[in-house]
Amino acid sequence: MSVRPAGDFKTAYVQDMALLDTRFFRLGFAALLAALLLAPVLLGRWLFLLNTIGIFALGAIGLTLLTGFAGQISLGHAAFMAIGAYTSWYVTARLGLPFVIAFPLSGFVTFSIGAAVGLPSLRIKGLYLAIATLAFQFITEYVIIHTAGGMGGTVVPSATIGRYQFRTETQFYYLLLPIWVFGGVYAANLMRGRVGLALMAVRDKDYAAQVLGVNLLQYKTLAFALGASYAGLAGSLFAHYNRVIGAEHFGIIQSIDYIAIIVIGGLTSIWGPHLGAAFVILLNQVLRFVLPAIVTVFPAFGKAATTSREVIFGAILIGLLIWEPGGLAMLLRKLKRYLDLWPYPH
Amino acid sequence: MTLSSLVEGLVIGLAVGSIYALIALGFVLLYKSTKILNLAHGEMVLFGGYMAIALTRSLPLPVGVSFVVAILLTLGAAAALGFVIERGIMRPLFGQPLLSIIIVTLAMGYIIRGLMVGLWGGDTRQFPQVVPTGVVRLGDIAIPEVGIWSALVAIILLVAFSLFFRYSLWGIAMRAAANEQMTASTLGVSLKRVFAYAWSSAAIAASVGGILIGLWLGVNFALAYVGLKALAAAILGGLDSIPGAILGGLILGVVENVIGGYIDANVALFGVPLQGFKDITPFVVILLVLMFKPYGLFGTEQIERL
Repeated sequence: MSVRPAGDFKTAYVQDMALLDTRFFRLGFAALLAALLLAPVLLGRWLFLLNTIGIFALGAIGLTLLTGFAGQISLGHAAFMAIGAYTSWYVTARLGLPFVIAFPLSGFVTFSIGAAVGLPSLRIKGLYLAIATLAFQFITEYVIIHTAGGMGGTVVPSATIGRYQFRTETQFYYLLLPIWVFGGVYAANLMRGRVGLALMAVRDKDYAAQVLGVNLLQYKTLAFALGASYAGLAGSLFAHYNRVIGAEHFGIIQSIDYIAIIVIGGLTSIWGPHLGAAFVILLNQVLRFVLPAIVTVFPAFGKAATTSREVIFGAILIGLLIWEPGGLAMLLRKLKRYLDLWPYPH
Repeated sequence: MTLSSLVEGLVIGLAVGSIYALIALGFVLLYKSTKILNLAHGEMVLFGGYMAIALTRSLPLPVGVSFVVAILLTLGAAAALGFVIERGIMRPLFGQPLLSIIIVTLAMGYIIRGLMVGLWGGDTRQFPQVVPTGVVRLGDIAIPEVGIWSALVAIILLVAFSLFFRYSLWGIAMRAAANEQMTASTLGVSLKRVFAYAWSSAAIAASVGGILIGLWLGVNFALAYVGLKALAAAILGGLDSIPGAILGGLILGVVENVIGGYIDANVALFGVPLQGFKDITPFVVILLVLMFKPYGLFGTEQIERL
């Protein structure tokens, strides 16, 4: 936050609090929005990548709020996504209600379950809490396998508003985009206000925050509930996008992928989840092309290729954490500073 | 549930539990001396299992001899792995926040598992016939012989580790470092060495656990989840208590096999039979325990001051 060009003075609190505080960022954001609006034209058949990125970015915003800003480690984020997805499935497929009801309802259900899961965080702290969320992940997975059809067997109808069906990639994209942008801006807005400051105080030292008048019960459960509801909404969108859901989409591996996303993107940045999701999904896609190509050149590499995604992910995570703990968001900021000053070093 | 099946579940539970205890001991060793929770511990279990099987199969020696040599080599490799992790990854991260370090261990898990499964494939692999596979009968109770052997090995190692910590110079140094890093360091304990030894002994404990389970059930990539169960055991006993880890492992083994096995076979909820409940009983148990004892059964309570 303190990286400001010389001569950029704030004369009012409104200016200091602004989300996009310089002309560069305002223009940049407008350009980004325009590019996102035109994306179906620009990307063509690669639009599915942007759809996937949007869904996972939305879920990752929740984990950023919970882990990055409130400091509560969760190893069960995919479980909340599962709850959102299955709520949406139940409401649309079983009860026959429209998507417009199912979508907010899945957010509401995960909000309440998230609050319930967050309650123990008052007593259980740090690593012990991480394990409790891990237990939640396994129990949710178990319940899904044994009640809702298990692996890959649940068919979800496509999203509808009124008579209009969101079937193709482009149609779904225009459903996703407003939700994605709104979710991102909402989180950013929340984090610069009272709630965000309270959550950061809880992260840095919860006991000290309590002494200063932050209601721990309220803010810790709020962090969990918000994080969970973002994941739930992402899960609902995922269900109506993929149209087939199963326990394998919401396993412990996905929970860990979420952590990888927010760390790669930048833990304490509101841009982190978006950058991280984009990076992880694009990397996946690139590996999907590159690895078979390598195998055709070096056939001996064949067996190892299936798991090299994991190895590369792990290596990137470790490298980032050792050399740039701020993630991609911090790298971009440093890049901008470097370009601003170029060709001078300072 | 008949009495004999109860006793059988109890005995098998204790045998499995002793292996959990051994793996959990690795967690606790590391946590005690470095304050790092190693989420790649399960992958170290996997490492031990895969390595030992691959070496036993590939060494050009009689099966029995190559098995022994393979185990020694595996333990050496595990110790080396521990040293490499400490030197290459953990030391540059010294002083970083807890979350970063946990995520780094997760990433290490990715890498180890990816390499193991990439090298040796995802199917279940078995050891060649090296240990007796018979069944010991005590009255009605049938106990697989491998179970008895692995329990014995686990117990011997548990005792050895406890004695090491109690009496040897390095054990005392590691306990000192665990107790208060700065003080130990000013009194001449080399923290770097302590950390390196902690990582390698944790890796060795995990590998032995992997070999024992591999002898019993074979090795596949799901073995990494045994590490999560052992983590549950360590949390149950309290992360920084060695007796806690041992007791936690035994409790989890018994709970999983007696209660989980019973629920698995006999209980139905809303008409749905609870199959496979055995695998999540450990997690239900730790959730319940943590509600009442947030620092596990024997863990040190952290008293917070400003």
